[in-house]
Amino acid sequence: MDLMLECIDLGFQYRDKIVFSHISFQALPGRFCAILGRNGSGKTTLIHCLNHILNPLSGRILVQGRDLASFSRNDIARTISLLPQEQIDIFPYRVLDVVVMGRAPFLKIAARPGEKDYTIAEEALRQLNAQDLSHRNFNRISGGERQIALLARCLAQAAPIMLLDEPTNHLDFNHQYHLLSTMGRLCREKGISVVAAMHDPNLAAMFADEIIMIKNGRVMAKGVKEEVMTEENISALYDMDIQKLRRNAETFFSPRDISLNSQL
Amino acid sequence: MVLASLCLGRVTIPFFQTLKILFSPVLSLDPDWSETTYSVVMDVRLPRILAGLLVGAALSISGASFQGVFQNPLVSPHILGVAAGAGFGAALAILFFDNIWMIHLISFLFGLASVAMTYALSRVYKMTPVLMLVLSGIVVGSLFSALTSLLKYMADPMNKMPAIVFWLLGSLNHVSFKNLLITLPIFLSCMAVLLLVRWRINLLSMGEEDARSLGINTEALKAVIILSATIATASAVCISGIIGWIGIMIPHIGRLIVGPDHKYLLPISMVIGAAYLVAVDTIARTALTTEIPIGILTAVFGAPVFAFLLRKSQRAS
Repeated sequence: MDLMLECIDLGFQYRDKIVFSHISFQALPGRFCAILGRNGSGKTTLIHCLNHILNPLSGRILVQGRDLASFSRNDIARTISLLPQEQIDIFPYRVLDVVVMGRAPFLKIAARPGEKDYTIAEEALRQLNAQDLSHRNFNRISGGERQIALLARCLAQAAPIMLLDEPTNHLDFNHQYHLLSTMGRLCREKGISVVAAMHDPNLAAMFADEIIMIKNGRVMAKGVKEEVMTEENISALYDMDIQKLRRNAETFFSPRDISLNSQL
Repeated sequence: MVLASLCLGRVTIPFFQTLKILFSPVLSLDPDWSETTYSVVMDVRLPRILAGLLVGAALSISGASFQGVFQNPLVSPHILGVAAGAGFGAALAILFFDNIWMIHLISFLFGLASVAMTYALSRVYKMTPVLMLVLSGIVVGSLFSALTSLLKYMADPMNKMPAIVFWLLGSLNHVSFKNLLITLPIFLSCMAVLLLVRWRINLLSMGEEDARSLGINTEALKAVIILSATIATASAVCISGIIGWIGIMIPHIGRLIVGPDHKYLLPISMVIGAAYLVAVDTIARTALTTEIPIGILTAVFGAPVFAFLLRKSQRAS
């Protein structure tokens, strides 16, 4: 299988505080790769380094064998899309106007999106069964609908690599499952490489193919889900005693004794 | 609007006569007007109205652009200290030169210099975060306002001080064809740049991380937009003094009509702003026997209209 994204010995620091170092992993086409780690472990920073919103201080990122440092901002946007964690809702844009922003890397500096771009944006919404959102006010739809709209923007961007920054933050139970299963389907159908920073090990276990665990700025464990998602690894990752529960083919993780582990 | 404004004034000129005078340079018409009437239309009112159109359009398009880039619908084009800097420059020029060309030139230069100071002050880690820009603008703006007050305090109270105060209140009184011709290319090129990149203001208004992930070189784009909007504003301030409220209010009216997409918002703001300023200026020079400073009128009209718009947009959304 050809490599989509390869990250070699990546490191980043703010002033003299090292956020992470020596991070290496690979993402393959059509595979869903989840990054797990505690709050402040540098997941978001890593995601931002992967598409050079932040410039990593050491290491290299290869996309289809080419060094990302040789890409222009526009080339990066044609190759890597990002589903952001926070959205700014100052101006009441229509959802379609937000989705069509995904066409920016294909438009010249002085150009404005044309009919073709709006058609692509509408098609992206249709693929997510969200065409009804098209003319709604982006600021007045629910958090889950916004994530769907921004996912449509990523699809309009048509990049072979998609980064998700804690995509299920602020979403209710229904939207969490809906968003991640849609994501998993797109990833497999379109052969997109998905790299997602995630909070919930159970959601990762359910939807991801590969797992990267980051602790204290280093890769603690990585590999296919079945090998990495063990009681020992997850207990070490979250600094608490965790047991694996089985129900048919599904596995779930839960603290062994909630009262004993509440002093985090 | 323009024609009505040409007819109205201390001397009211019949509509058809105004039209004839206007076309007399290109058509050969029998002059049935006095030389004074001709001069009132062509030398006094026409340049003033053209200046009103330009200043109104420039302040409105700059306001709409600044609001987009700063992700804040309440900023005015004066946010980065242009007005305060230009006001100080003008006061300085009135004190030391008392020559209309020097006043224009020096106020323009100080307007740009104050924004350059704001920009330099707000740079951290080779980036210019929006919040730092706005705060630095407030700092630089208050510094120049204080210095202007100092100049007013020192100025000769019979002569120079009223001139400074009147200039600061804004007026289209001193505009002639000559200074219009000099500022026209600056106005047009700045507005053209803003119109060209206008859709990308949408992307910047979603926040810098988003804009970067969509392939935008945010630092460069922000610099181009801020520079164009600042030069346009500084040119407006240097020929008309400080006219407040237009740049903050007109984009809101534009948003009520065409929505927030900058693809439509920038052109409509230009048109509304141009028409609005000519209308207000017509009132400024016709309402009383002496001219009312236009800055006072735009504020008097602007504040209640803006309050109404705010409430209306709250209900609409």
